[in-house]
Amino acid sequence: MLETLKLTKRFNGHVAVNDLNLLIKPGEVFALLGPNGAGKTTTINLLLGFLTPDAGEARVNGASVATDPIAARRQIAYIPEQVMLYPRFTGVENLDYFSTLGGRRHTREELLALLKRAGLPAEAADRRVGTYSKGMRQKVGIALALATEAKALLLDEPTSGLDPAASHEFSLLLRKLAGQGVAVLMATHDLFRAREDATRIGILLDGKLAGDYATNDIKHVDLEKLYLKHLRA
Amino acid sequence: MIAAIARKEFLDAWRDGRFRIAAVVVLALLGVALLMAWQQVERTRSERAAAAVMERENWLNQGVKNSHSAGHFGVYVFKPLAPLAVFDRGIEPFVGTTVFLEAHRQNQAAFLPAQDATAMRRFGELTAAAGLQLLAPLVILLLTFGALAGERERGTLRQVLSLGVRPRDLVLGKALGLGAALATLLLPVALLGAAALATLPDAEGGGSWVRFAWMGGAYVLYLAAILAVCLAVSAMASTARAALAVLLVSWAANAVLAPRLAADLVQHILPTPKLVEFEAAMNQAVQEGLDGHNPRNQRLQTFAQETLKKHGKTRIEELPFNFNGLVMLESERMAGEVFDHHYGKLWDRLEAQDLTVTWAGLVAPLLGLRSASMALAGTDFTHHRHFSVAAEEHRRDFVRVLNEDMMNNTSGGHHGGVADPSLWEKLPAFRYEPPPSAHALRAATPGLVVLLLWAVVAWIALLVVAPRLKPN
Ligand SMILES: Nc1ncnc2c1ncn2[C@@H]1O[C@H](COP(=O)(O)OP(=O)(O)OP(=O)(O)O)[C@@H](O)[C@H]1O
Ligand SMILES: [Mg+2]
Repeated sequence: MLETLKLTKRFNGHVAVNDLNLLIKPGEVFALLGPNGAGKTTTINLLLGFLTPDAGEARVNGASVATDPIAARRQIAYIPEQVMLYPRFTGVENLDYFSTLGGRRHTREELLALLKRAGLPAEAADRRVGTYSKGMRQKVGIALALATEAKALLLDEPTSGLDPAASHEFSLLLRKLAGQGVAVLMATHDLFRAREDATRIGILLDGKLAGDYATNDIKHVDLEKLYLKHLRA
Repeated sequence: MIAAIARKEFLDAWRDGRFRIAAVVVLALLGVALLMAWQQVERTRSERAAAAVMERENWLNQGVKNSHSAGHFGVYVFKPLAPLAVFDRGIEPFVGTTVFLEAHRQNQAAFLPAQDATAMRRFGELTAAAGLQLLAPLVILLLTFGALAGERERGTLRQVLSLGVRPRDLVLGKALGLGAALATLLLPVALLGAAALATLPDAEGGGSWVRFAWMGGAYVLYLAAILAVCLAVSAMASTARAALAVLLVSWAANAVLAPRLAADLVQHILPTPKLVEFEAAMNQAVQEGLDGHNPRNQRLQTFAQETLKKHGKTRIEELPFNFNGLVMLESERMAGEVFDHHYGKLWDRLEAQDLTVTWAGLVAPLLGLRSASMALAGTDFTHHRHFSVAAEEHRRDFVRVLNEDMMNNTSGGHHGGVADPSLWEKLPAFRYEPPPSAHALRAATPGLVVLLLWAVVAWIALLVVAPRLKPN
C-alpha cells in the first residue's frame, strides 16, 4: 500500500533520506523510530508528494506519487505532529471543511460522532478552534483521519501533546483501523506505543533503514536496548 | 470542492475582525463621498441652470444698442454637469465651467472649481471613484496577502493539500470566496450610487444607465485583476510578510507614483504650449494669417475688391448693404479658421496625452481605469471638448446673426446703426446636448481594453502559478 523504492532526498548536499526501501501492506502498522533529524518527516513528505525525490520513487497503492500526487493523497490521511486548523471556525466546522475537501461529506451528527470517537469533549465541538489546546487540535486531526476513510495513514508523531488516556484511546483506534485493512506509517519517539500498536518496527538512521523487525519477533527483547544498540553501531 | 473552499473563505473573511473594520471604514467613506458628491452635483446643476436663465434675461433686456456692441456685450454659457459626476468628477474641478461668448474671440472655458475650492471642499472631492480606485485595492490587499502565504506559514496548507485538493481548485475557491466578500462590501455602494443617479435627471440621449453599467464593468475588471495579482503574489511569496511588502509597494507604485509620473512624462513627450504662448500664437495668426505671410489688412482689401467686382460696383458706398457688416462676417470667418486650427491642434494634443497615459495603464492599471471611468462618467476631456465645440458653434451663430443684421438692416457708420431689440429674441438660447453614451464608450475603449488585458493576464498568471503552490 505504502511503498518506497530506493528513495533518496538530499538537502544542499546533505542526504536526508538515503536509498530507502519500505513496503507497508494493508493492515500493517509500521512504526518508524529514529533520532531527531533521521529523515522520518522527510520520508512522510515524500510519500505525500510534498517533496520531489532526487532518486527513487514513492508509491501509494501501486501508483507513483511523483506522476499523480493528487491521486496518491486521495488515498492517504495525514496527521502531522501539530495539527493546524482555522482558528475562526469551530471544531465541527473545521472537520466539516477538511472532510469535504477530502471528498467525504458528513452530517453534523456524523461529524460530532467522529469528534467524540477521537476523544474531543462534546462541549468543545462547537467552540472556535482558536481556544483549543494542542491536544484538542490533535484530536480534530484524528477525527479527520477517521472521516476521510483513507486506505493509508501517515502519522508524524500523532500523539504528541495527547494526555495518556487520549493516547491510549488513539492506540485502540489505530488497531481497529489496521484490523479493517488500513496501512499505517507512524513516525514516533514513543517506544512504548510503538511496541503496543505496531506490527512492525523500523529504525531509521541518517535516512537509512538500520533495522526492520516484526513486533512479534521481538516480544521478549527490550526495545530501548535494541534501539540504542543500533544508534551506537 | 471549489464552492466549499469559496464558502469557507467568505465566512473566514467576515469572521475576521480586521476585515469587518476595513469594511465599515470603506463603506462609510464611500457612502459619505457619494452623498456629498450627490449634494454637490445637485447644487451645481441647479446653480448653473439658474445662472443660464439669468444670463438669458440679461441678454434679452440689454436694451437698445447697435448689434456690434451687443456682440461685445456677449453671453455666458454654462456647462451642464453630467449626472455621473456623482461618482467620478474627472477633470471637472480643473476645467472651466463657463464660457464667455463674444465677437472676435474664441475663449476657453473659465472659472475652475478647484481654484476657489477651500481645503474642506477639496477633501470633499474624495469621490466614490477615488475610493474604488485607491481604497478598494487596499482592502483586497489586506484580505489576500496571507490567503496562501499565511496558510503555508501556519501549516494549514499542508493539511489542505494532504487531502488531495488540487492547488488550482484551492486558489480558485479562494479567489471566488474573497471576491464574494468584497462584493458584499461594494454592492451597497453600487446600490446607493444607483439611487443617487435615479434622482438626477439625465439629458436626453445621455445614456446615464448605460454608462453606469459600463462603469461597473470597468471597476469589476480592475478589482478582479488586482485580486488575481494579490493571490498570485501570496501563492509565490515565502511568507505572508513578504507578500504584504511586495503588494504594498505595488499599490503605492500604481496608486501614487504612476499617475504623477505618467502626467510628467507625457508632458515631456507630448508637450502642450503655455497659455500665454498659445494665445500669442493664435492672435498673431489672426493678424498675419495661418501661414504668417498674409496680413489681415491685405486679405480684407482683396476681399473688398472682389466684393465690388462681384456686384459690379466701384465704390463701397454703392453696395446695396452695409459693407462693414460683411467685413465683420468675413473676418469672423477668417478668425474662425485660425481658431479651428489652433484649438484643434491643442485639443488633439491633449487627447493624445490622455491616450498615452491610458496606454501606460498596461504598466499601472489605475491609469486605464481612470481614463475609462472619466470617459463613461462624462467628465473626461473628450466630453469637455464636445462642450467647448458646441459653445463655439453657438458663438459663431450668434455673431453671424448680429453681423448679418448689421449688414442688412443698418446703413453706413463704422459699426452700423442701432439694432431693433427684437433681434435679441431671434438669437436662440444656448442649448447643450451632451454626447450620447456611444461617444463615452468610444472614449473609454482604450481604458477598457487595458483593464480587460490586465484581468485576463492576471487570471492566467494566477492559474499558471497555482499548480506550483508549495506546501512548505
Ligand atoms: N526543508 C529542508 N531544508 C533543508 N534541510 C532539511 C529540510 N527538511 C529537513 N531537512 C534536513 O533533513 C534531515 C531530516 O529531517 P527530518 O525532518 O526528516 O527528520 P525527522 O526524522 O523527522 O526528525 P524529528 O525526529 O526531529 O522530527 C535533517 O538533517 C534536516 O535538517
Ligand atoms: Mg519529524
